[in-house]
Amino acid sequence: MAFRDVNARRHIGLQQLSSLALAGRTLLGPMKSCKFIVDESTNESTLICSAVRLLESLDLTSAAGQLLNETIQAQNKEFKTGMSTLLFLAGAWSNAVVECLQQNVPVSAIVSVMSEGLSSCCERVQCLQISIRDVNEELCSSNVRPNAFKSKTCQSGCDNLLNPQILMYFQKDISAPEEVNPCSHQEDCCNLNKHLVSPLAGFGSVGPLVKPAGGKSMSVISGSGGIASSCNKQKLTHSRYFSTQGKSWFSSQQGNSQGCLSGPSADPCECYGLGHLAMALSHGNQTSLKLLQSIVAYQRERAECSGSLQFNTAEIVTCCLQGLPENYSCVSPGFVTLVSPEQAAVIKYFEDKPLRILLMDGDLTEQYRHLGFNRPRNVRTILEHPSLQEGRAGALWLSSMLDILISFEVNLVLVKGNVCENLMERCIANSILVIGSVSRNVLSVFGEVTRAQPVTYLTQLNAACVGSGAQVELWKACDGRAMDLGELVPVRIKVRGIPMLTAVLTSTVTSKMQLIEDAFWTSVYRLHHALNDKKVFLGGGAVELLCLSHIQMLAEQPLQTANKNAVNEFHNSWLAASVTEYKSVVLQALASGWKQYLSVVMCNTAKAASELEACTSVDHHLKKAADCGSPLAYILKEFGRGDLLRGGSGPFADHREGLKVYDNVTAKIEAWRRALDLVLLVLQTDAEIITGPKKNQLLNSHMSNEYMFL
Amino acid sequence: MSRLEAKKPLLFISEPLNKDTVSQSLSLLTGILKSCYGPAGRLKQLHNGVGGYVCTTSQSSAILSRLSVSHRVLSVLMASVQNHISRFSDCGLFTAILCCSLIENFKSLNVAPCTVIKISKHLLSLCMDYLKSEACGCRIWVDFSSVETLLCLVRSILTSKPACMLNKTEVDHLSTLILKAFLFTVPCHVESNAVLGKCVIVPVKGRRVVDSVVLPGLLIETPEIQLAKPPTVKRTCSNMIRIALFCVSMSGDGFNPEEGTITVHHGISIETLELNQLLNVGKQLVNDEVGLVVCQKVIHPSLKQYLKENRVIAVDRAGLSLMEPLSQMTGSKPIASVHLLSPSCYGSLKDVRIESFASKHFVHLIPNDTVVCSLILCNRNETAWDELKRTCETAEHVLQLTIKEPLALLGGGCTETHLASYIRHKSCSLSTSTFRDLDCSRTQYQLVADGFCRSLESVACSLNHDEGEILTDMVYGHCWFVPSGFPSVSNWSDLVSKCGCGINGNTENLNWRLLQGQFDSPAIQGCPRELSVKVVDFLTLDCFAAKCSGLQVALETANLILDLSYVIEDQN
Repeated sequence: MAFRDVNARRHIGLQQLSSLALAGRTLLGPMKSCKFIVDESTNESTLICSAVRLLESLDLTSAAGQLLNETIQAQNKEFKTGMSTLLFLAGAWSNAVVECLQQNVPVSAIVSVMSEGLSSCCERVQCLQISIRDVNEELCSSNVRPNAFKSKTCQSGCDNLLNPQILMYFQKDISAPEEVNPCSHQEDCCNLNKHLVSPLAGFGSVGPLVKPAGGKSMSVISGSGGIASSCNKQKLTHSRYFSTQGKSWFSSQQGNSQGCLSGPSADPCECYGLGHLAMALSHGNQTSLKLLQSIVAYQRERAECSGSLQFNTAEIVTCCLQGLPENYSCVSPGFVTLVSPEQAAVIKYFEDKPLRILLMDGDLTEQYRHLGFNRPRNVRTILEHPSLQEGRAGALWLSSMLDILISFEVNLVLVKGNVCENLMERCIANSILVIGSVSRNVLSVFGEVTRAQPVTYLTQLNAACVGSGAQVELWKACDGRAMDLGELVPVRIKVRGIPMLTAVLTSTVTSKMQLIEDAFWTSVYRLHHALNDKKVFLGGGAVELLCLSHIQMLAEQPLQTANKNAVNEFHNSWLAASVTEYKSVVLQALASGWKQYLSVVMCNTAKAASELEACTSVDHHLKKAADCGSPLAYILKEFGRGDLLRGGSGPFADHREGLKVYDNVTAKIEAWRRALDLVLLVLQTDAEIITGPKKNQLLNSHMSNEYMFL
Repeated sequence: MSRLEAKKPLLFISEPLNKDTVSQSLSLLTGILKSCYGPAGRLKQLHNGVGGYVCTTSQSSAILSRLSVSHRVLSVLMASVQNHISRFSDCGLFTAILCCSLIENFKSLNVAPCTVIKISKHLLSLCMDYLKSEACGCRIWVDFSSVETLLCLVRSILTSKPACMLNKTEVDHLSTLILKAFLFTVPCHVESNAVLGKCVIVPVKGRRVVDSVVLPGLLIETPEIQLAKPPTVKRTCSNMIRIALFCVSMSGDGFNPEEGTITVHHGISIETLELNQLLNVGKQLVNDEVGLVVCQKVIHPSLKQYLKENRVIAVDRAGLSLMEPLSQMTGSKPIASVHLLSPSCYGSLKDVRIESFASKHFVHLIPNDTVVCSLILCNRNETAWDELKRTCETAEHVLQLTIKEPLALLGGGCTETHLASYIRHKSCSLSTSTFRDLDCSRTQYQLVADGFCRSLESVACSLNHDEGEILTDMVYGHCWFVPSGFPSVSNWSDLVSKCGCGINGNTENLNWRLLQGQFDSPAIQGCPRELSVKVVDFLTLDCFAAKCSGLQVALETANLILDLSYVIEDQN
């Protein structure tokens, strides 16, 4: 066993954490800069834009790196959001803790003050939580404010020209009827009608105008509204940050109009609640937001039939289409997947007739056996009368499987695993569509809606296992074209009443596909968690700022009272004793994490030229908050009007009420907690013990003097 | 052609303890173990150095099981500590540190090993007699009619492992859960020989600790449940659910791959024959009104389908660890063959439900009489979860030991310092006949006793990992901690606030002295007094049985190692 002492004044583990986290600085906040990660040995590169993908692509052999990766993966698995925050804070707090160590603060004092400090902050920021119901009321009411807004939009458009680098888009989310969808670029204005018939389009802006029933139209359009808004050359997204993605949102909205005609619409309030909430949580990611709002609208329409309103992530799948422009992204009811052209050819025979569907939860191959089945090795087969026909391997199996499928009149088979190629060919020849690699939750949705019972082997099949009522068609893009993407063809499988929705994600850039998919799921899960939590945080840095001001207050608390409580607070006199002395130093270290967080976000979004400038701005607000007596009141007032850290004198000073930004509660708090836990875990580690064969390598290597051997 | 290699000669090492390499390794091991001790202990990252799983821990069980040591002396030490841990779960570090200190202290004495051993055995018996006597000042009775003391005991164990990463709320939540789980395992109707039930820990990694819950009965994870609607369970006429428990694989591959070869004619499928056999079992189960079939291993999909069609719930892959509690809870006998099915093997259940927790789905088996429960244990990441699991198991074990012997020792170093001051006091007042019996002089006895006490005190000192001072008081013999950064003053009462176990406040002048660095202190000292136990909320307590055993194991192992004069190694 090799043994390495890691706890010098400069703690190796903490340094590793902070240097790994440094790589993720630009991934913080809504304006992320992507990174290329190049593997020098193979010259392959990956484009990444999230902390999870960053760590996946890095070679992490150090123990601290392993733990960091594990922590980020756990956050990702649980929340799908907050990973960059986690990564950043882990780095910032590592640095801060190293500084404490250099000032001779004992480890136990750092551990107890920091973890108690974080708990105290988490309690404090509860007052920035807003219940979902309040959010809905607020968001909807703030939008029924017809014209007060319009003229200013124009003006803002002009002001924005001062800053041509940043394309600023402004969209008033749900407008009152006459204030139809402010349209962005002049050239798009001719398409106004299209927007109006697009109930699912982005912000659902025209929702109130559209009555879905019977496709009866639609446009009670107040021309003035449309024209007035058309003068807005630029829009501002519903984010505290400016986004350039709005552009593609707009054009895609156009494209969408036809495909979505049949889609559901919405009536003003409750419905839009979710749409609005999604927007406030999207932090400026327009592509995902548009899709998410379509999903919300679809699920709402369904819920009206079934009576319960819920947002179900298990019924959402994605299908990535490479080679189509990004504005073709849309949501299709049913299950969209890619098949080979040969398989697609089968669809022609189906026309519109309802299909009999079979679900298989394993592979569809001769060799496949259910998990846990051990193939006998000690069985020898004797063939007494060889004949030519039986010699052909697998032919018997093929024909018997095909017979089963034909005798049960199965038209469509969804298989969880792989499909034997020969069988696939035979099925195609017999007009049976077999689709492999279908995920378990897709099978389960189809099982519910078609009453098909999943089977493992075809020999298990009986009449009760086969479902019915499925329909298959070629998936058509919004402009009505069926897509042929070279090797693979998208098809759509639907069943009457199927709750499944497929977000079809498109991109012409292969390496961006992953980013788009990740971003989409992040948006989905943000909404999901907001609904689960039943509350959201006031976003835009409000929470972090309140933490900072709370820590200021904690640090200034007279030592006397702190001392009295210390022992009770920490259960244990071993932890309590040295705490009071170092309290303020350690609390400052905790605060520095959030302060850096705010300033890096401001830098990334180009709201501050340098971190120094950003820090000054944060300090300025902290001081003002402290001076006004109640920091909470100050923060509520300032953030209630929009984004405080945007920089006070922007063009939006007057109509901030539309620019709500919210954050997830649990995901954020958990990201903090996980980051601090990781840092404290590494901090308290004083030695690495290396076991296994690596020990002998170390013993003989030049690094052996760093280690001790038992 | 075979090649013969000459046998290597045996390796003799005489006086192994005097070898440099051994004493270096021993002091390194002592250092590692001491640095882990207590709530402020430092953690160790155990990993393979090439990017594998990292185990972050300060628990002796995790560290010792992964350490490989090159010298036999260390192996002896580690083996006896591990043996102690397997019997008591708790106090492993205490045992190991004490043992190392004893070896170190006794080795430096200029007294013959055999005399040291005799004297130290006498000292041990003094300790054990004192600990078991009513007059013992460092133990308290555990009152099972209230939860306070029990909670203190559990809380002390949880807080002593910092790698669990728990904050105050989480410690409180989890202590309550562990205690609740333990109380579930105590049978309600006690007959002549009561057997405690079992608490099964169900892992849910990635969630918050406060999401953990305790449920009566057992949970079996089943990924497939989402593919099917929750079934309605078939019940017998007495409204119970009949359960059949299989410990044999029902996957349809029932040949033994080890023995011989089976020859079959082409066209005959053994698989089909096996499946038919299984379906016959299924038929019998349906006829016998079984409502739930649980299999330790895999059930063939066709059999599952058949059972489902007949409204029998089939749950497979229950795993070996669940078999014993399953059979204990349901009264069923695990069926080991699919050929012989006797109705007497069936057990019964009150209810079966489907539960979802996080992203996992479980079949929840609810018995009539709960002695088996499930603790769904959550923690944010894997390394902290593993540590927490070990800690929870220790806590459950300690509660079991405590119900057998309802005593607890004061923790936080107080028992060690108290015991040391008792021995110092006692060793001065021994009669000369004792020395004659032991065949030693008073001086020799004093020397060994002093070494013994210093070893005990050094365990208490190991609780301190930052700079600072450890004190003991001359009245109760408890252990006190003073943070660093204060000038060495005579009036300690300005600095101390509470003793290690939390029973003493700084209310009277207790005449403190430094624990370390004053080894030549006059041993004239009164017998340490017992403190009347008020109800104190946050006492630090240790398991009585585990600590007593630890003390014995440490001393006996130290004696064994001191007595080693040769190590003979077979090098082949």
